[in-house]
Amino acid sequence: MDAPALGDNSQLAEHSYRVRKNAIRMAEVHKQGYIAQALGVADVLTVMYFHAMNVRPEEPDWEGRDRFLLSVGHYGIAHYSILTAAGYLPEEELVTYGLDDSRLPMSGMTHYTPGAEMSGGSIGLGLPMAVGMGLGLKRKKSDSFVYTLMGDGELAEGPTWEAAISAAHYKLDNIIAVVDFNAIQADGPSREVMRTEPLIEKFEAFGFFAQRVDGNDLDALVKAFDAAREYDEPKPRIIICDTQLGNGVHFLENREKSHFVRLTQEEWDDAYEALDAWKTTRTR
Amino acid sequence: MTTPRTETAAPAKNAPAIIASSVDEGHRTKQAPFGETLVSLARTMPEIVGMSADLAKYTDIHIFAAAYPDRFYQMGMSEQLMMTAAGGLAKEGFIPFATTYATFAARRCYDFISQAVAEQNANVKIVGGLPGLTTGYGPSHQSTDDLAIFRAMPNLTVIDPCDAHEIEQLVPALAKHDGPVYTRILRGAVPLILDEYDYQFELGKAKLLRGGRDVLIIGTGFMTMRALDAAKRLAADGVDVAVLHVPTLKPLDEATIIREASRTGRLVVTAENHSCIGGLGDAVAGLLFRSGVTPAMRQIALPDAFLKAGSLEVLQHRYGISTDAMIHSIRCWL
Repeated sequence: MDAPALGDNSQLAEHSYRVRKNAIRMAEVHKQGYIAQALGVADVLTVMYFHAMNVRPEEPDWEGRDRFLLSVGHYGIAHYSILTAAGYLPEEELVTYGLDDSRLPMSGMTHYTPGAEMSGGSIGLGLPMAVGMGLGLKRKKSDSFVYTLMGDGELAEGPTWEAAISAAHYKLDNIIAVVDFNAIQADGPSREVMRTEPLIEKFEAFGFFAQRVDGNDLDALVKAFDAAREYDEPKPRIIICDTQLGNGVHFLENREKSHFVRLTQEEWDDAYEALDAWKTTRTR
Repeated sequence: MTTPRTETAAPAKNAPAIIASSVDEGHRTKQAPFGETLVSLARTMPEIVGMSADLAKYTDIHIFAAAYPDRFYQMGMSEQLMMTAAGGLAKEGFIPFATTYATFAARRCYDFISQAVAEQNANVKIVGGLPGLTTGYGPSHQSTDDLAIFRAMPNLTVIDPCDAHEIEQLVPALAKHDGPVYTRILRGAVPLILDEYDYQFELGKAKLLRGGRDVLIIGTGFMTMRALDAAKRLAADGVDVAVLHVPTLKPLDEATIIREASRTGRLVVTAENHSCIGGLGDAVAGLLFRSGVTPAMRQIALPDAFLKAGSLEVLQHRYGISTDAMIHSIRCWL
């Protein structure tokens, strides 16, 4: 895939490179993992943490922060990558990923990691929890947003739609749901496992302000998150981000078995080289 | 050994299958103790909010909803959403009382409560109406397994109160306890018994309500009320029955139960409005066996079965949890 042309987002590109590199370092510890998702969603998380969200990495529980709920718990690797890039976690901790007594368990959990606001792992909790936090923030007359990152396969979970109904009913315009649409889930392509399209039409019918963007285009992501924050009707917001699994490491981008990747040490070494090569083309 | 087949005369089979709590003849009642207490408590605790999944009228939280409309969240028929959103409200510092029927909380929402409430130690109070066999609607509404299900969940406190007096005392206790709780409640006209026993609810504490030489009934929920009635009637036959009330099933008051069950010469009978699997009887038996205390022990509980639909009075008697059935069982065992 050709790298998207960039506007004045060179800082974001640099951050998203570091996020990808962090993810490779973590996956390399075990020679396997959800690395393809982490690479694919790196640009989305970069724009969220470095552009859209109001956060203080040095003070993860700051009351005025925007909330971030990782609904797809197995994206822990992606979340720790951005939390490290953003300064919540020290870089040397990355290599403890998934090890005994690490603060970075395979599936994101709130008691373990600074900046992790919910325990994921069981899919479909993010949007329902965002509804509760959105109601709570309104009670407190807070201006903070609640973001939740979901996967496209996750949209088959029923309570996500219970939450969508209630988010519109309660006019929760402080919710910004984000879907990483990488089109693959555990048992295969999501259009074959359980087709959820047409998503824009569905979420609009449920009362959302819905957008769809190329999730590996930093400019497009910036515009979409700006639009979601600035939209002035009392509706919950959702951004469907079409992402490419493995984005940035060419031999992972079209790999057949990409939901859970196993690589040799040689391939991990190649991954760093491939990422560096990709970075040069992207920021030229 | 569980409840023997009852041979006493069954009540007439013409009572309608109504949704109601169990009020035995001759008992005083109090109206909607959960809803009324929550309303008065909320005056001084602004962090309390109420939630329901389209069953506000049937859990008595409609009284709270009427008193504090802006603090009540109607979540529609979406119990899984309600429990998870309750976890979210707790994260923002509120104390949600999330109400539905016990059976929906336990069976339908288990993973959501486990992950969004218990694992995250969220300060959510889950309130389940229609506990055990308190409706004749049939298995969909008869919550015969909620105590077993919730006892298995780490971090969760599990409670089955006896009467209106206890419900009035436990609501503020739950609000002050920082952590997730599941409690059954009785709604509507709720029996009023324990005020006569100078009873004070304490979270995690069992209380001896009367002493006795021959039998120790360890009861929970409204079966303690029936145990007290049974004790009075058995006294007329010269059988001296002690009653220990155990409203908190988890954490269990192990010291008090071991102390009372260790007194020699008494038959120990557990009594619960719940399946014979995984509730009070199993909890007490496991505790005593692990502690090396092994009195003669029997269990009054509902059978391991999907129960019939019908009239409540008939069903409770048929399945061994009416006062008459309880007395019959104890006589058989002595």
